Amino acid sequence: MVVGAGVAGTAAAIEAARAGVRVMLVDENPIGASMMALDVPQFFGKRATDPLPDRDVMLERVAAANHALAEAQDAGVEVQLGTCVWGAFSNSATSRVLDGPQLGLADDERSWMVKYDRLIVAAGARDLAMSFPGSGMAGAMGANGAHALMTRYRALTSRRMVVLGSGDLGLITARMALDSGIEVAAVVDVSASVRGDEALVSRLQGTGVEIYASHTIKEAVGSSDEIESVVLVEIDDDCEPVAGTDKVIAADTVCLAIDLVPNVELLGLLGCDLSFASERGGWAPDHDDRMRTSVESVFVAGDVAGVHDGMILGDEIARSQGRLAGIAAAESLGAIDTDEALARSNELQPAALDATPADAHSDWQRWHRSLVNAGGLNVHACECEEVTRAELIGLQPPRYLRQGSEQASRRGVRTQAKEGPVNADQVKRLTRAGMGHCQGRLCREQVSLLLAEESGADIAEIPVMSYRPPVRPLPLRVMWPDDEPEQVRSEWPKWFSPTHRVLG
Amino acid sequence: MDSADVVIIGAGVSGLSSAYRLAKAGRDVVVVDKGVVGGEASGRNGGMVSERVDEPVLIPLAVEATRTWETLADELGYPTEFVQEGRLQVAVTEEEMGALFAERDEALRHGLRAEMVDPSDIRDMIPGITERTLGGLFFADGGHANTQLAVQAFAWAFQDLGGRLYQHTAVTGIQVADGRVTSVETTAGPIAADMVVAAAGPQTGLMAGLVGVHIPVAPARVEILATAPIEPLSPLALVGNGLYGHQAVRGNLLFGGGAHEWTDVDLTTQPGKPNTPLIRNIARRLAELLPGVADAPVIRSWAGVVEQAPDYMPIIDILDSPSNYVVVTASAHGFGISPATGKVVSDLVLYGETNIDIGGLGLARFANVNPNWRHQRGWIPAPNRS
Repeated sequence: MVVGAGVAGTAAAIEAARAGVRVMLVDENPIGASMMALDVPQFFGKRATDPLPDRDVMLERVAAANHALAEAQDAGVEVQLGTCVWGAFSNSATSRVLDGPQLGLADDERSWMVKYDRLIVAAGARDLAMSFPGSGMAGAMGANGAHALMTRYRALTSRRMVVLGSGDLGLITARMALDSGIEVAAVVDVSASVRGDEALVSRLQGTGVEIYASHTIKEAVGSSDEIESVVLVEIDDDCEPVAGTDKVIAADTVCLAIDLVPNVELLGLLGCDLSFASERGGWAPDHDDRMRTSVESVFVAGDVAGVHDGMILGDEIARSQGRLAGIAAAESLGAIDTDEALARSNELQPAALDATPADAHSDWQRWHRSLVNAGGLNVHACECEEVTRAELIGLQPPRYLRQGSEQASRRGVRTQAKEGPVNADQVKRLTRAGMGHCQGRLCREQVSLLLAEESGADIAEIPVMSYRPPVRPLPLRVMWPDDEPEQVRSEWPKWFSPTHRVLG
Repeated sequence: MDSADVVIIGAGVSGLSSAYRLAKAGRDVVVVDKGVVGGEASGRNGGMVSERVDEPVLIPLAVEATRTWETLADELGYPTEFVQEGRLQVAVTEEEMGALFAERDEALRHGLRAEMVDPSDIRDMIPGITERTLGGLFFADGGHANTQLAVQAFAWAFQDLGGRLYQHTAVTGIQVADGRVTSVETTAGPIAADMVVAAAGPQTGLMAGLVGVHIPVAPARVEILATAPIEPLSPLALVGNGLYGHQAVRGNLLFGGGAHEWTDVDLTTQPGKPNTPLIRNIARRLAELLPGVADAPVIRSWAGVVEQAPDYMPIIDILDSPSNYVVVTASAHGFGISPATGKVVSDLVLYGETNIDIGGLGLARFANVNPNWRHQRGWIPAPNRS
């Protein structure tokens, strides 16, 4: 099974199929309109055409955006588009009921399970989201969401965009927007100078794009839940806003292009070791130079394996990683002998791994500090559940409970941190931050940054919030197993009781 | 050496409820846990709070607990999200209907507020519920609460009274001399104790093993799922179609049920708590039960490891030897009855007895349990098939 039909996943699928392995390649694109409206799986910011073109048109566009898909089909790969992977299940010490590892798949209508011998996760990356006053309005979106709407879907409605982030991600986003006929009002960065490729910068400046270094976004202003302008402010070396430097810029879109974060949900579910690797986009899977993870049957390739500017600038790294993963998976199944696999891997490794990614975390921190300083603590850290930064670090119960007390007001992440490492899952359940329908995709990193800052811990020391299935919102009627065996129905147990059936 | 009047093993809801009561009574209490407050079953269960007549031995505890829940949040100073609008059990088969009538009669014999409701009443109480209900049994005093908030409320209130909480601290041994525990050895060093309360959930058996006593409990993994918030449907605790659950105040449907899996735990690490494709079967049952909201998106599921004694009932007792060792284990009933459990354990520690009726929850009932009982019952982990 290969999850994700981007460059890496397609290359992996072709490589494995050519080695004689039976391969299924699934990709959730095209995404349905209802998911897109919920910012699933990318931060689309309600900037997709409404209504979206119908599914067949979208399927054609998705296929057309990826020429290698046809090659994969020619190689014998079974390609399933419009199919999301919402779960991954395997046996472990406390769960032994499965007769093999399997994925939960679904389209708009139904869900089903598929068993696999080997899994290559090429699930890509998502946008690093950070909030500011007004970021809950339509028009605040992420660079990956914008890329998808511009290329794959040809359905981005933005007219005038402010891009946050001047690394290669931001610069390329601005370039693509201009190419798509969207005005780019500004590229903004908290760093003192532009971070990305200089040639790209001069080309952008040549088209009249303003670059604001040492600036952050103070707020987005709008009406009827639509962004109409943004307020930028200059910041000093401590990321504090400089009084009197506000600049109001008309724009209907704020595109967050600060960084990309690997989509590690499925890897988390399967128990692959993850480490915080600043240079690889945050929490990323541990893997060797043949793209093998800590779990024997699971391989990674592309952005999910760790994303950095070198991957944003071109496809070569992702393609080589995909081929490596395909070869390693095929070898582990006995389809390629070890000598040949090693020889072919050696040729690919320079292209797949030869990159000197830069530390990204200090940049995250700088952005986050500037946003906290400029926007204050009364801004949602979690948009879905409307939990402000102040409520999060104060460990305050949800507002709808309306029970405050003197004791409760003395509690917080700081008092908690004195008693041991802060536990992000515990914080989530107390405050509800991260519990919304975006399933944490828009708040995980900023919650971690706030917890780290407040508790004085390194972000890598704060265990990542756990991943739980389904990793895509799945309606009850879709999750419903229409293949449920009669025995499961007839033997469904009452809560622990003498007649309670034991699984297995 | 660190010392305390009482060392409580386990920062779950039973341990912390007990710790709070003992601290309130002026005792110097230390709570140790290998993980964090409510990190295991106490913070992961369905949050059901109810009197149940299918388990008559628990009625006195459940009645006391219900009474305590009503004012608990005010007493502790932290919210519990307790909602007491009643508990409804619906029947979808004639067999279940017959069982409900029997339960109703039993409930009335015990003086509980219970009444039968017909299908049209049920549809008024829960819009969107299946047309297939044949009737229901309504317990007016039932309800639900937020598990993590409630456990944390006990923990913080305990700390506000000066109680000491050692998280990330595993118990590695228990020293006994002359028939009494002298100290509890932990990864943070030994703690001398006059009294030990083992509220160790699935680790109860292992913990008792440290003092050479056999207490029969078997750990099991169970699963539950949550939808995104939906429009207010019902504040009731609901049991039916093989599921139990409720709609949280925020609007999420939280429902669990179905087969459990016997497993093993150890003293120092957190057990893995994966979900299985069983969550699809739970989703189906929930959509059948509430077809009016079958479009609600599932956004999360989780699992927890609970423990079960051979008769599915809690154990609350003082050991004969070592004679200063109190055991409390709830057989997956712990959350709902926890406010009463704390009072009972506190009574046992302070006075050696309690006026809440816990007859039937003592260890004597297992005097003849074969040490090999888990194997005999098949309450052991399945062989790994892959």
